[in-house]
Amino acid sequence: MDTDRNPPEEEMPPPRLAGSAPAAGWVRLPGPGDAAAESRRARRDGVRHVRRMSNWTAAALIAGTGAATVALAHHAFPVSAPAAGAAATTGVGGTAITNGAGGPQVSHPVATTSGSGVAVTTQTQTVNGKTVVTQVPRAASPGS
Amino acid sequence: MAIPVPTLTTPAPLWQRVNTGDAAVAVAERAALGTSARVAVWPPENLDGALAAVDDVLGALDRQASRFRQDSEISWIHRGDGGLFLVSDGLAEAIGVALEAARWTGGLADPTVGQALISLGYDRDFAAIDPARGEPAGCPAPAPGWEQVRLDGPLLRLAADIRLDLGATAKGLGADRAVRAAMTATGQAGGVLVSLGGDLAVAGQPPLGGWPILVAGEPDPAGSVGIQPVRLASGAVATSSITCRQWRRADRALHHIVDPRTGLPADGPWQMVSVAAATCADANAAATASIVAGAAAEEWLAWAGLPARLVTHAGQVRYAGGWPETDGGRITIPPGSHVYSRARPGGLR
Repeated sequence: MDTDRNPPEEEMPPPRLAGSAPAAGWVRLPGPGDAAAESRRARRDGVRHVRRMSNWTAAALIAGTGAATVALAHHAFPVSAPAAGAAATTGVGGTAITNGAGGPQVSHPVATTSGSGVAVTTQTQTVNGKTVVTQVPRAASPGS
Repeated sequence: MAIPVPTLTTPAPLWQRVNTGDAAVAVAERAALGTSARVAVWPPENLDGALAAVDDVLGALDRQASRFRQDSEISWIHRGDGGLFLVSDGLAEAIGVALEAARWTGGLADPTVGQALISLGYDRDFAAIDPARGEPAGCPAPAPGWEQVRLDGPLLRLAADIRLDLGATAKGLGADRAVRAAMTATGQAGGVLVSLGGDLAVAGQPPLGGWPILVAGEPDPAGSVGIQPVRLASGAVATSSITCRQWRRADRALHHIVDPRTGLPADGPWQMVSVAAATCADANAAATASIVAGAAAEEWLAWAGLPARLVTHAGQVRYAGGWPETDGGRITIPPGSHVYSRARPGGLR
């Protein structure tokens, strides 16, 4: 996975001048040429290091993103097919399919849409398995 | 079983538990807004939290928009007899939704019919109206027109002769607010249905196949009721009817759905129209507009793309926009709202 390239030719240290070998026991102080070479080497090594780190970081990010995607997908979509009608409002003016475990089984009507219901209240009940709707006169109620 | 719900102001009527036969849901009902409110939730243990949230919404809406309460914000505006008013966010939203409904319906659902209703005798809570007063109704008062109302954020400019009545959208708005508040109160867990006088909205996860509801008309003289069971998984259903709020003036039968063009009760072919939409305010406005539109209702509903069930005076049922024609069918809700598109949505009270 190491895709480091060799430094380009112009980054190679220049050749030394001929006949400049130091005498025995004498330690040459680093000159400007040496410092430049050292600097280039350090920079080259640093660039290689950074590239290597970047590659590992990118690999880790890709692997992490993939794992997160798999985890989210696992939570978002149940193994079983979503229940029919499993939808939920998401605020004003919007609806969205909700894929979850599904709501409970509810067999009996829970509410009635009708006129404003002032004159009568609609009551529903089940008798022998059949839905029976009864209209009951309502007493006057406070409010608007 | 009555569930006491504490409030800081005037105590709200107590909720009464309703046994529908399913232990998986909890249902409660109480009087509210001159009609009844019903709340259904699952899981059942969420009921108390949902009821408290719905109480807050209903109390706030009543204080904002009831023209029958002297201490309401809209009554305060009407007493001002025209001018520029700084209104609450909640009332601004309510008026904004009403104006957008008027724009969407081409003025069929117009919030400036307040004076027309007063002229007809609907000047107090419906339960307090003498159903057979001998004196005749006042002169018809065609609506000044919703375009005369200027609303810019919380700033409302109203002409002196305009009385607002938000009846075509207020219950729907209340149901929309209530389901949102209930879901917030219950941590977005489970599902909730709120019905305000038969205009109902749902939110969260519905029961399998959708919430089972009934579409029911008023009983005929023989006592029989035309009903249709349907399923609602998302959105809302609202019903407007000319048979449920009727009274007489002299020898004339009147009802509360006024044609803004004439200032008189709508006299079209429909006794009841139920409409499904993404929000209850949309459904509420569309149902009222359909009654007013009369013979043109089906054409308007087709243009609006909304499922609807229309009942003629003779009891004939007609279906539009994909409303299920079989009992137990599921209503498919088209996405998007027309009345919240410019009004400010988002839980304002």
